[in-house]
This record gives sequence, C-alpha cells and structure tokens, in this order.
Amino acid sequence: MRAAGPASAGPWRQAWERLRHSNSAALGACLLAAIVAACALLPPALGLDPMITDPAARNLPPSVDYPFGRDALGRDVMARVLAGGRTSLLIGLAATASSVLIGVLVGALAGFYGGRVDEVLMRFVDFLYGVPYMFLVILVMLLFSDTARGDPLPVFLALGLVQWLTMARIVRGQVLALRGAEYVTAARALGASDSAILAHHVLPNTLGPIIVYATLTVPTVIILESFLSFLGLGVSLSWGELVAEGVAVINPLRSTWWLLFWPAGFLATTLLALNFLGDGLRDALDPRGPTPNGP
Amino acid sequence: MGLVEILVLATACGALALTVWLPQRAVRAVAGLWLAAALFVGMRAWLGPWPAAGLGATLAAAGALRLPERLLRRIAFALPSLVLLTFVTTLLMYLAPGNPFANERAAPPEVEQALRAQYGVPESATAFFAIYVQRLALEGTLGPAIKVQGRAVEDLLLPALPVSLSLGLLALLLAVAIGVVLGVRAGLRPGSAEDLSNMGLALLGISLPNFVIGALLIIVFALQLGWLPVAGWGGYPHLAMPVLTLALPYAAIIARLARGGTIEVMQQDFIRTARAKGLPERVVVMKHALRGAILPVVSFLGPAAAGIMTGSFVVETLFGIPGMGQWFVKGAINRDYSVVLGTALVYFSLITLFNLLVDLTLAWIDPRVRDEL
Amino acid sequence: MVRPLAALVAIVAATLAVAGLTFSTSSRDPAEFTFVNAAEPETLDPAHMTGHPEFRIAIEIFEGLTRRDARTLRPVPGVAHTWVNSDDGLRWTFQLRDDARWSNGKPVTAHDFVYSWLRLLDPKTGAKYAYLLGGLRGAADFDGDTSGGFGIDRGVYALDDRTLVVELEAPIPYFLELTSFFSTFPVPRESVEAHGRGWFLPETIVGNGPFVLQSWRVGDRIRLSPNPEYWDLDAVALRSIDVLAIENPTTALNLYLTGAVDWLPSLYPVELADILRERDDFYSGASMIVYFYRLNTTRPPLDDPRVRRALGLAIDRREITEEVMRLGQLPAHTLVPPGMPGYSAPQSGFGFDVPRAQALLAEAGFPGGAGMREIGILYNTHEDHKKIAEVIADQLRRNLGVHVEAYNQEWQSYLASVDAQDYDIARAGWIGDYMDPNTFLDMFVTDGGNNRTGWSDPAFDALIAAAGNSARAGRAPQALLELAPEPAALLQRLVKLDAAGNPSARRDALAHFRLELLHQAESLLVNRGYPVIPIYFYVSSGLVNPSVEGFYSELEFPDGSSGANLQDLHPLRDVRMRAGAR
Repeated sequence: MRAAGPASAGPWRQAWERLRHSNSAALGACLLAAIVAACALLPPALGLDPMITDPAARNLPPSVDYPFGRDALGRDVMARVLAGGRTSLLIGLAATASSVLIGVLVGALAGFYGGRVDEVLMRFVDFLYGVPYMFLVILVMLLFSDTARGDPLPVFLALGLVQWLTMARIVRGQVLALRGAEYVTAARALGASDSAILAHHVLPNTLGPIIVYATLTVPTVIILESFLSFLGLGVSLSWGELVAEGVAVINPLRSTWWLLFWPAGFLATTLLALNFLGDGLRDALDPRGPTPNGP
Repeated sequence: MGLVEILVLATACGALALTVWLPQRAVRAVAGLWLAAALFVGMRAWLGPWPAAGLGATLAAAGALRLPERLLRRIAFALPSLVLLTFVTTLLMYLAPGNPFANERAAPPEVEQALRAQYGVPESATAFFAIYVQRLALEGTLGPAIKVQGRAVEDLLLPALPVSLSLGLLALLLAVAIGVVLGVRAGLRPGSAEDLSNMGLALLGISLPNFVIGALLIIVFALQLGWLPVAGWGGYPHLAMPVLTLALPYAAIIARLARGGTIEVMQQDFIRTARAKGLPERVVVMKHALRGAILPVVSFLGPAAAGIMTGSFVVETLFGIPGMGQWFVKGAINRDYSVVLGTALVYFSLITLFNLLVDLTLAWIDPRVRDEL
Repeated sequence: MVRPLAALVAIVAATLAVAGLTFSTSSRDPAEFTFVNAAEPETLDPAHMTGHPEFRIAIEIFEGLTRRDARTLRPVPGVAHTWVNSDDGLRWTFQLRDDARWSNGKPVTAHDFVYSWLRLLDPKTGAKYAYLLGGLRGAADFDGDTSGGFGIDRGVYALDDRTLVVELEAPIPYFLELTSFFSTFPVPRESVEAHGRGWFLPETIVGNGPFVLQSWRVGDRIRLSPNPEYWDLDAVALRSIDVLAIENPTTALNLYLTGAVDWLPSLYPVELADILRERDDFYSGASMIVYFYRLNTTRPPLDDPRVRRALGLAIDRREITEEVMRLGQLPAHTLVPPGMPGYSAPQSGFGFDVPRAQALLAEAGFPGGAGMREIGILYNTHEDHKKIAEVIADQLRRNLGVHVEAYNQEWQSYLASVDAQDYDIARAGWIGDYMDPNTFLDMFVTDGGNNRTGWSDPAFDALIAAAGNSARAGRAPQALLELAPEPAALLQRLVKLDAAGNPSARRDALAHFRLELLHQAESLLVNRGYPVIPIYFYVSSGLVNPSVEGFYSELEFPDGSSGANLQDLHPLRDVRMRAGAR
C-alpha cells in the first residue's frame, strides 16, 4: 500500500482514523500531554524552585504545603520531580531527534543508491552494532565531562549517537523498496534530481515507520539516562538522578518512600504513555513495523 | 588529533570499506589469513609458537576452503573492525581528561614517567596503540591492568567472563520463556482480558529502570522475607534476583514481539487450513503458530543479548557480582586504558559472534532468510 | 516441539553448571570474620600502596619495624624489639628480633629493610609515597644506583643481620610512626625479583605479618588465614578473614544487616546516619581528615582575598555537620584537625558571620552580590559531596546574593580540572599521613604539587621550609624572623640552649619551636591568604558486630585516658570473636 503510490491524503487519513479509535494510543497521548504540561507550566505558575534547601526540614512526608514531601536537604520534591521531568523529556526528545537525523540520512543514502554505497554504509552500521553501546556512551560522556558543568548536551549527544543504527536499517529497508516504485521511475524520467526525488517522493512515504520508531526511542533514551545517573555519570536534576537517589534511601530501617515513589511514578507513567502511543501509532501507520530495541 | 591519528583512522576505515569490493577468491584468502592470525594469537599461550602456527594455519586453510563465502566475508570484515574499534577507543580514552596515573596526591613527574614506562602507556595515543597491538599480536596478552596491579587484563576478564555469560544467558532464557508465554497467550485472543493483563504486566517491565526493580526485589525477598541472600555470588540462591532483574525488561519486549507475531500468523491461510482439517486448537498453536510467533523473537535475540551483556553492570553493582560489567565501567572511570580496550574487544567479539549465531538460527528456522546469509 | 524443549532444558542445565563453577568457594564456607573494604585494593605491594583499602590489608599481611597496638595505635615492637634514637635525633638504631620470619620460613633481616626502603626510594620503582622517606640522609640525590655510594649508604644500612641503622638529614618527630606505616613495610626480595609486578598475588606472595593471603578473587573477596611462621602466632585468634570488595553503600549495609558481614567501616547511605547512630553496634569518633574547598586564587573575582574570605564567612558549617552529615562531624574553621600532639590551632578568619561577609563583599566591589559573575562549585561525583555542595551553593546565594552553581565531574575529570586550575571553587579532602600538622600544611607552598589554588605567600614558604628542618633554623634567614616575629623569641631561647649544650632540653625546645612555626604557617592560610575554606573535620564511623572483641573504636591508653581512633585503624591481629557468636 505504502509502496504503491505517492504520499497522498488517503493512507494518512486511514491511519488517523485507526489511531483515533485506538484506546491505548489515546490514553498514552493524554497522559503524555498532562505530564508535559505539568512539567512546563506548573513550576512557573506555582513559583517552585528545586534548589532551595532547608536541611532542618529534611525528609518530611507529603503534606498540604508540600504535596510530594521534602527530600534529604529539605527541598520540595514536587519542584524537583517537575524540573527533572523537563530535563529527562528534553534529553529524550533531543537524543531521539539526533538519532532520527543521522539514521534517516544514512538509511536513505544506503537504500537509495544501493550497491556499493549501501554495502559500505551497512558495513559500518554492522560494525557499530558490535560496539557495546553503553561503552560508547560512557566514553563520549567522559570526553565532555570537563566542559559540561552538568549541561545535558553531552548526554543526549552520546545517547543519540548509539540509537540511530536501527533507525538507519529501517529507513534503508523502506527506501530500498520504494526505489523501484513506478512513480519514482516516472519522476526520474521527468528529470528530477536525486535529492528532489528523495525529499519529495521517497522520504515522505517512509515517515510512518520513522515516527513509530522515534516514539519508541524516547523511552529507551530516558531509561539509558537513568542508568548513567545510577553510575553517577548522568545529568543533574533528571528523573534518572532522582530515581537513583530514591532507590538509595529505600531500606528496612527507614523508608522515605516519597523520594522514590514520585520520580519513579512520573518516569514510569511517561514511559508507559510513550509506549502506548508508539504501539498505537504502529498499529495505525506501520502494522508490521518494529518494536523498540530495549533498554 | 594529529596527522598520524587521522591517517591511521582513515586506513582502518578504508580497510573496512574495502572488504565490500573484495572478489570471491580474495575473500577466501583474506579470511583465511585473519583466521590463521587469530588462531595463532589465541593458541600460542597454550601450545607454544610453532604448534600454534601449524595448527592455526591448517584450521584456517580448511575454513577458507570449506566455509560459505558469505560467512568468510564476515570474517574478512572482522579484523579491520577490531583494529578500528581498538584505535577509536584508544583515541577516545586519550581525548578524555585525566590519565591512569593521576592521583589526588600529586606525585613528582619522575614517578609518572617511571610508571608510564613500566606499564607501556606513553603520552601519545598512537604510540600506545602501537605498543598495544604489538603486545597483543606477539605476546597474546591484553596488557597489564593499572588499577588492579600485578594482573594482566585477561587475568581479570577470564574469571569474570563465565560469570557474566551464565548470568546473561540465564536472563535471556528466562526473558524468552516469560515473554513467549505471555505474548503468545495474549496474541491468541487479542483484546481479551488476558491480553490486556499480560501486556500491562509486560509494559511494567520496560517502564522502570531495572535498578529500581532490583532494589525492590532485595527489600522484599532478602530483607523482609529473608528467603534470598542480599548480594554476592556463592550459590544458586544468589542467582535468582539478578537473573530476574536482568530478564524483566527483555521479557517485556519479547512478549510484545511474540504477541505481534502470533496475531499475524493466526491470520494466515495455513492456520485456517489446519483448523479446517479439524486439528485440535492446541496442536494448531503448538505446531504452527509458535513457529511464526517465535521468528521476530529470534531476530531480536541478537540485540537483546548485546543489551543484556553490556547492561549487566547495573545488576552486577547492585548485587555485588564479580562479572565483566564492573571492568568496563571501572576501567573507563579509572582511565585504565588496557582494561577498557580489553573489555571492548571481548564484548565486540561476543556480540558479533552472537549476531552470527542468531542469523544462522534464523536461517535454520526460516528458509526465506537462508539465501540472504 | 519436544526436541527444542529438550535442547532448551539442556542449555539451562549447562548454564547453571557453568555458573556453579564460577561461585566463589569461600562464600559457601564463610570466614570467621568478614569485613567490607570500601574498594578493591589496587595493589598489595607496600611500595605502591596509597589508600586506606590497601592499608587495612597491609597491616595484616606485613609487619614493619614497629606495629600499631590495637588499643592505643602507638608504635610497639614489631620486627624490631628495641630501638634507640641518638641525642641529636638524627640516628635511629633498631634491633630486630631473632624469630621474625617470612611466611616461607626464612628470617626477616635488616638487609630486607635496606632493600625494601631503597626500592621505595628508587625513582624507577615509581612509588608515590617515596617522599615519606625523603628525610633519610642522601635520599634526595638517590637515583636508584646503590653501587656508587651517593650518600644513601649512610641513610639506611645494616650493621649486621639483626641491626638496622637509619640516619636522617633532620630530626623527624613522627619517624617512629613511619616505621609502622605501610610504605616502610619490608618486601620479600626473592619473590619480588623472581615474579616482578605480580609478586604479591596469592600464588607467589611471601609476607611477614600475622596473616597470609590465601586467595584473592578480584571484585569479590580476599581470604586471609593465620601465618604459621608469625613470631607471635599465639596472639592471633581469628582463623580466617574475608575482605569483601563492595562499593555500593546500600549493598554493604544490607550485607551487614543480614549478618553476612561483621565490620562495616563507614560505607552506608549517609541518609541513615541518624538512625544508625542510635544503634549499639555503631561507633564514631574524630578522625584525621579535613573536608575543605579550594579557591582558585588566579581567577577574578576570587583573586581578591576579601571575596575569598567573604565566601568562607557566609557558609554555615553547623548546618552542614548537624543537619546534613549528622555523624558528629566538627565544623572546621582551620585546616589541621584537632588532636595533633602538642599543636594548637590558630585563631581563624572564617567564622559564620553573614554581616561581616556582606561588608567584605561590598568592599571588594560587589555590594549584595551585584556585578559578580556566576561562581561554580566543582565536586567529584559522590552523594555526600553533592549534598554539601548544593547546600553551600544555596547558603551563598541566600547569604550573599551571589549566583553559585554546584556541578560534578567523575573522579579523573575532576582531578584533571583541579590540577589545571580549571575551576572556581573545588571540593577537596585531605587525609593526614602521619600525626603531624605538617602533613596538612606543606602542600600549600608556592607551586606545590598539591597546592592547586595558585596561592603563593613567601612567608608561608619560609615557615614551612624552616619547620622542615628546624635544626638548621637556628641559622634561619633574617627574612624569616621578620616575617614571623613570634617564633623569633623562641629562637632566641633556642640559641641560648644551644650554647648551654643540654641535648634533651634542646630537642624538646626544637620540637616546640617547630610546632610554633607550623602554627604561624596555618595562621597565614586562614587569616591572611584564604586560599581554602575549611568546612568540617571528618569522623570515622562504622558498624561492628557486638561479638567482636579487641576492636577499639575509641583508644584506651595505659594511663586510663581515652582518645579518638584518628586514623581509623583496626589491626585484626588481636581481634577475636566471642564464643558462640555465630
């Protein structure tokens, strides 16, 4: 179906109809919108500051003034969770964007030109598949660690760097299939340049799988960042860091459960929402498409 | 980065790209050469130089003549890959701030010079690379570890490898078992209550970082109930929680793949035929549906194994397990260059090998794939 | 479907079997005494050791000329049974005991010590702690060549197998203490020369301490068992010791709480400090470690001492020690931890005085923090450092109105940044190597390798140099007397004593004079230069199984007084488990 004709309203409208009727996708989209709105709007609206300390009022359980409780330094957990959400979502989006950019570029080039170009590019993708990705992430993190000052940039750069491989393979497969399609041959006969054909005829038709895979990459990246935080290599004030801190204080002697519950709850809800949305999108856009590559 | 580094980098990349153009005969020759070299380096320590060379050459020649060309092309591709990996890793390590001899207490420069000479860690990345490759090729050693003095890197990795491999393999098997059962049952009745509950359960597995899951397991099973030991690696009870923690996220993904595969396969004509023939539903599922459901799962095993192996450091830290993961993290944090390179090479080889195995399995299950290999 | 299933079962069984082979055998049969060592020791070669995890094991498998008594931590006879120090304090003569033997049965001789100490000093060895013996005669010029006689042959030599002589350039008040510090432990020449870098691995190690290294599984555990050749074997009670390399505080605490570990030195989540403090099996006490911030004195606006002092005055250390750390840490306003024998700390220019801090900042041109750029506080990645840095950043913001941001770097990047002075404010900690103020002060001399603040004060340099060689300070440069007028009076007395020629009175006066010089030096740091902001003095703490006997978290002296276990050292030689403990 997708390979059969140029991008038209037809398949997209069908997909939209399917998506609209998918309960899980709707649920995912609503949850996600709520969390994004909370992280973006609540802190300025309520004047929340995640950095104000008051160690004498440490580890207070949730109350009316502090609905999420206060942490080990007396800081407002709600302010921290919302600020952490900003960082985590930003990292998720930015890393995914960079992985989409690289993945689409490599995949499209390989698929469109085929032959030796394809083989050489895929050779490098194969090579990178063999490189343990956490390893690359840690090395790139170390590279930037002296200039970063807690800046999330190196983290998403590193995470984006290891996430584009599957994207490249998916795009390549799609483009390879489209390359021989009649309308592409027609466009070529009309004298369209390679880049014009790629941009106007081929890529728009691979958009479905790209969107689906990108949606499923965001949660993967957010989880990866939490691993880095667990190692102490993450970003300051992200969900990963808050969850890692929260885990450290859960024990039978005293459980300040709200330090884990809230960030973990927000993290899990966001990941669930993204997965729901991704699944719904896949069912709508690309029923035979991929599932995420895992944490 | 200086001119030399760029030249080496370009050469390694070029060699990698060139394997694409190699004609069939050249592939056999090159792959045979690589095989012989690898076998020689690997066996030299046990057999001595001459027997290792002889046996290596014989085995390699046999391999070069008998193995299918596609496989040989992969082997021809392996050596430049390893060289490229080693060099890029060296460059990244050297570009990162710090060095393995830096200490909170500044030592006089002579001390650092003496240690650099002793450990073969010069101040230039290319010089280190040269020493490293030479040592690997001629002495068959991965070099001395700096932060665990007195041991070669292989002395650290060899005891840790079976720990990580068995932990990872058990986790992978458990993930497949849980995932396939949940996924297939869900896929047989999409939209049912069982589907929803199974998939909800699976989603939980990918919604929380596994160090949270692991910590909660410890609280419940080790500290509250006292059924399992909190940490360590001394008996089968020690395995339970780490394996489960490591398996859960992958079980979740496998469940989703298996569900998708099942749904798809159940719509196929041959299932309808089988049902029409009056075969009992159990037979239909076990004999026909399962094979279809399992295909996407098998193709996911490669990335899953890579993820489990390289992701095990979190679980190893949490449960105090003496596995490979610790070396790869500690090595990087300590700038223990040889440890970092050693773990990278081992992981790379393992992942490549596992991907190959997965492809072979796929070909065995699904004849359509066989031609692509 | 049956065959694949059978294959699957076979794979699982095979994997389980492989896993079974990798289990550490020792953990199936737990040691009599198990403790958590915060990290895997980097080495067991005394010449290359630098840290506490190594120290804890070194004192069990090696023994120096002296060893530390567990009850007092004072040097008591080890391999040497008696010693004499000459009147001028420059010459030490040690008599070695006849029954001191290596674990292979060979005697430990004075030649072993000569070999080991020269090996430590040899630049080719690359020993980071070689400087500890830098006060030996000829050590400064020693290039590792023992044949030519470059003077080192007069620094340490054997009169015979049982008599070791050490000659110093200048008296070292803490010298005897050094003879029970790991760097000066003897190493087995034969084993070192035969096996090279890995001589201390279980297969080849030869030691002379109360225990021997039985097995060492990296990342898991070290097993120690009594050394049958030890001269005082009767005193050794423990039949086996396990040393666990656990770095995760939560994991470590869980192991202790489930009874798998008998001693857990200070590796638990800091969050639980107040709960743990209530437990009977918890101990804590002062230690010889100071937590401080370095200030980069080369970067505006921190190049202005008024700004540096203002920052130090605006930090509420009490909030850090009582509300964040909560283990009874002492707020620090000076750098040298309390408890140094004979030493008194100077008055400090760092109190907690916000109005004074604001006034100073205004004086420096930043009234209310206006016009000052954002200041970064760099700390190495660690939960405690993060908490402290975030609280201090907030305190400075609140009290001074300046913009402060705390940020972390992992260890190696942090070291590189601090070393390159690429920071504004950087967290630091310093552990005293020996019980003397000098170990906390001499790093701040101009261009000193551990200075790292860019601060330089010729008066400070002169004071430290004079303290390092107080014997010669009798002929101190006039400049010193002008810079530090107070020691001058002392010096006058010293010159008189010299004339009177009473050696022991002169030695005491010299020691006193030396501490006075160090006191003046420290005063320059915290009253004039402000290159560092002291935050607090650490406590050492831990959890120890109540069935353990002979473990002194508080020292007990023969005169009935008690004192803090400043170095957090617990020799296990005399430790025993109360009967029926397990």
